Amino acid sequence: MHDRLDYHRMNDDTALAEALRALPSCAPERDAWPELAARIRRRHVVRRTAWFTLPAVFAAGIALALAWPHLRLSAPLPAPAGVAARPAMHAATPALPDLAALRVSSQQWQAWVQKLDRDGAPLNGPQLARAVSLQDQIGLVDLQLSAARNPATAADLWQQRITLLQQLGLLHLQPYTVAEQAPTSGTRVIPM
Amino acid sequence: MRPFALLEHLRIVDKPTSFQQTVDPALISRLQRGDLDAFEAIYRQFERAAWTLALRLTGRTDVAQEVLQDAMLKGFERARQYRGDAPFAAWLRKLVVNEALMQLRHDRLHVIEVLDDTQADANAPLPWMLVDAATLDRALNRLPDAARAVLWLYHVEGYTHIEIAQQFGRSVSFSKSQLARATKRLRELLQPTAEDTPCTIGSTTTA
Repeated sequence: MHDRLDYHRMNDDTALAEALRALPSCAPERDAWPELAARIRRRHVVRRTAWFTLPAVFAAGIALALAWPHLRLSAPLPAPAGVAARPAMHAATPALPDLAALRVSSQQWQAWVQKLDRDGAPLNGPQLARAVSLQDQIGLVDLQLSAARNPATAADLWQQRITLLQQLGLLHLQPYTVAEQAPTSGTRVIPM
Repeated sequence: MRPFALLEHLRIVDKPTSFQQTVDPALISRLQRGDLDAFEAIYRQFERAAWTLALRLTGRTDVAQEVLQDAMLKGFERARQYRGDAPFAAWLRKLVVNEALMQLRHDRLHVIEVLDDTQADANAPLPWMLVDAATLDRALNRLPDAARAVLWLYHVEGYTHIEIAQQFGRSVSFSKSQLARATKRLRELLQPTAEDTPCTIGSTTTA
């Protein structure tokens, strides 16, 4: 009886395996390749951009940290929005900051941010909201700059603009760090 | 009635075990250099096999879609890790299995049902020998996720109980009991009803 049961089970298993293998294969309802190819290209761009930009950002951060004391010495304290129309407050500033250098620096940071915005990874909801907020603040600074007559005030505004651009650039880099960390979570090495 | 008579034509037209295909080594080399065109050729070659496997293991088209995408993405990004000591198709299949089981764990889709362990009648007819593909397909989809996955991995993909246990992070006993219970449940479910088309699993929510 035992032998008969074993024989029956083996026969049963074989029949079931054959029946399952004989089931037709299926095809996805829609072609998944375009989406997959787009994902691959996007991740490739993110990694390539991160490879080049992360060291640049790191170097820029160090340069900024080194230059910050000099900038603070040469430039007056940040002026609130209403102060731009009252140049007399900074009339006694001994050394005028290099407005041209600040303007060039601002342009360089802006070009970098624009490149990240154009080529980089899309931002998620909170990042997008923060980016819009930073862009609004930059727009406000630009408005103040257009009305600034005092070089010291203008320099301070240029410095504010640069700081906001740096924050915006770092915001655009956040997806890269997430993308670099992502493969380590929830994945397993596949031994073959 | 001749066994599998209703399934014979399907076997000729289509082979579900198409992970047994070989891949042109030149294509693999190009893929390992990041050639997207080469990857597309490989993707096209295994799209149906990967999709079928993902669908059989997860039982849902939306999850299978995600599994297909994620597994293939990993296939592209990890192609350099493939060393050629096993067939490329087997390596790709493993990616799909890993991804599907990870989805099952992540989405908590699989419910390990405790079924009645009464001994099946040794003389009972084998119902899978008498039903058509659509009926078997439907019954398969009604199995609990873990049971269906174990059944498919064991009978179709040729995994051993040890390999299945490793994939699920469970014991060998788990694999064996799930297989026995899945077989028993399938036997109970196989009641030929209205005619249906194959590949219907996933079109509705799982039972």
